[in-house]
Amino acid sequence: MGLILCRQEPVKHPFYIERLGIHIYSSQELCYVIYNNPLLVLEDFIDEALLTFIREELDMEFLAARLEKWRRSGENNDEQLLIILQECDYYTAIEINRFRQHILMIRKMHPADFEKAKADYIFQQKQYGKAILAYEKILEFPKDHFVNDIFMGKIWNNLGTAYARMFQPEKAYQAFDKAYLLTKDQAVLQRIYYLSIMNPELSQKERYQSLMTEELKRVWDVELEKAKDKAQTAESIVELNKLFQRDSIKRMAGATELVSRWKQEYRTML
Amino acid sequence: MDGLVIGLDLCDTYSQVCCFDKEQSWTIPTVICRMKDAEEWSVGEEAYGHILMGDGVSVDKLLTLAGKDGTSTIGGIKYEGCYILQMFLQKVIAIPVKEFQNNFISQLMITLPDADVKLMDCLFQCAENLGISRKNVHIISHTESFCYYVLSQKKEIWSNQVGMFDLSDNSLRYYELKVQRGLKQVMIVAEHEKLEEGFNLDILGTSAGAKLADKILCACGERLILKKLYSSVFLTGRGFDNREWAPGFMKMVCSKRRVYMEPNIFSRGAAFKGADYLQEKTSYPYAFICEGRLDTTVSMKVLHKERENQLIIAAAGDSWYESQNSVDLITDKTRDVELIITPLDTKKKKLVRIPLESFPDRPNRTTRVQMNVSFLDEKTMVVELKDKGFGELFPASGAVVRQEVMLWA
Repeated sequence: MGLILCRQEPVKHPFYIERLGIHIYSSQELCYVIYNNPLLVLEDFIDEALLTFIREELDMEFLAARLEKWRRSGENNDEQLLIILQECDYYTAIEINRFRQHILMIRKMHPADFEKAKADYIFQQKQYGKAILAYEKILEFPKDHFVNDIFMGKIWNNLGTAYARMFQPEKAYQAFDKAYLLTKDQAVLQRIYYLSIMNPELSQKERYQSLMTEELKRVWDVELEKAKDKAQTAESIVELNKLFQRDSIKRMAGATELVSRWKQEYRTML
Repeated sequence: MDGLVIGLDLCDTYSQVCCFDKEQSWTIPTVICRMKDAEEWSVGEEAYGHILMGDGVSVDKLLTLAGKDGTSTIGGIKYEGCYILQMFLQKVIAIPVKEFQNNFISQLMITLPDADVKLMDCLFQCAENLGISRKNVHIISHTESFCYYVLSQKKEIWSNQVGMFDLSDNSLRYYELKVQRGLKQVMIVAEHEKLEEGFNLDILGTSAGAKLADKILCACGERLILKKLYSSVFLTGRGFDNREWAPGFMKMVCSKRRVYMEPNIFSRGAAFKGADYLQEKTSYPYAFICEGRLDTTVSMKVLHKERENQLIIAAAGDSWYESQNSVDLITDKTRDVELIITPLDTKKKKLVRIPLESFPDRPNRTTRVQMNVSFLDEKTMVVELKDKGFGELFPASGAVVRQEVMLWA
């Protein structure tokens, strides 16, 4: 507990982290990104551009030289992340050790499971475009004891959800269709039902008509109504309602700002 | 030394200018004259010439004018006090430049009887406008100039205590310097007292007036120095140019003491300090506690490599005007910034806690605070805490906390 003294870092050109769609301006932000996004930084994160940023912008020549030496040695690349955390004096030794354990745990995962965790993380960051690419990459994994129908079904299901969030209902429908074929999971069926309600132009396969019994539809409709009610009280909707209650000048200004925010959000999704 | 190191003693009535390592010095009235029909300025004898001829308009009390944001209208043009002071500075600086055929000024040291932030800001601006780089301009108090002058003399002159009387127009001041040894660093403690007994030097023109003035000085001398031991006593100011009017005071002050007369003590002291700025290692390795310098250390506890360290924000002996510090801090499970104020008497140490009110709630260690510390005078510190957020991860909110802290009552 206390105040951490920051070193003077003459950053004129921030470093862009494409995976997160943000710029970083300090060694502390670099550490934060590494520590909080292990899945995104484990592969190909430390490259020539980052080393240049560390050397020239953060003025940490010693750290850059240490990382370069490590890269040349051909030893475990994960250690480079730990070197950064140790040198920047932002996380404590205990926290760094915890991070090390976390990396070890990730490294023990099946490669397909690791890729799925990574894709899921990108999805959580609302970067649906990048998440779709990541899920599609997983589909290329050969089948084995881990990469079975259930696993692939989950991938198709997540892919469908990502497409739906990107407002591509047809692709979403196709993905859910494949997910259901592999898993026979009723939750997937429910998603197909909702997708059809929201996009009446979608032509549903016949077999789904029989699977979606009236009883099931009634239950799902209730859930949908509940979700709609909940959405009405969501912060963003409340904010939007407030905006429409304002006078026309303020409303226009607010609307411009909101639309620009939505555009930004959508660009991030891609 | 390639350039000139100018020591300039600026007072409202008279100003003195000299250069380091040069014997010559100049005393000129702090008056400037502008020609009635032309934008031409003059100072000193030339100015008086124009005023007597009636073709010039004079402006006096230039420091007061500039310090109070005053203006003066000459020939239908309204001039800012700061601009007039700049003209005066230009003319005064031109004197040694011309005399020594050297227009490169490596240091301009200005010494003032009383430090005033507004006036100091104005003087820095003037110097910058005159093309003198900010880093080569410094302003110190008369007390500090006195210290530098005394400490530039032989050690026996200042081995213990040094006193000084400064008698100028309408002003009588007593200065005292003490050397405190036995600490980590030798400490030079100096202060001055503005005596109420100051008088107009015009009274020295009559024998009755001179007698009265002698009596006044004797009374002050008895009160201030009679029972004290001094390494030396200095006399300065226009009032002591001629000492025949003060036989009683001279007898008292010279009794068993070394007494020195030095008319340019402040400008010379300033020049000594100016020359010291050009040295790689200071010739004055002392902690100065005097007007213009802080007598309190301001520090704070910060985390570095998981250990708590003391970070000095401003140290006792630093010039308060030049002491401006800016650090970036990251809050770690705290919403306060705590400063430790340590006066010379460490028993009076105190803590000042500034809450980061209006700063948004964020995850731990994602709030970067920019702390700017500056001083309004020796006893008033201004702390400004700005929320800088945490890059694009947690953008800055624009929240600012500004607090004035009294270092001592």
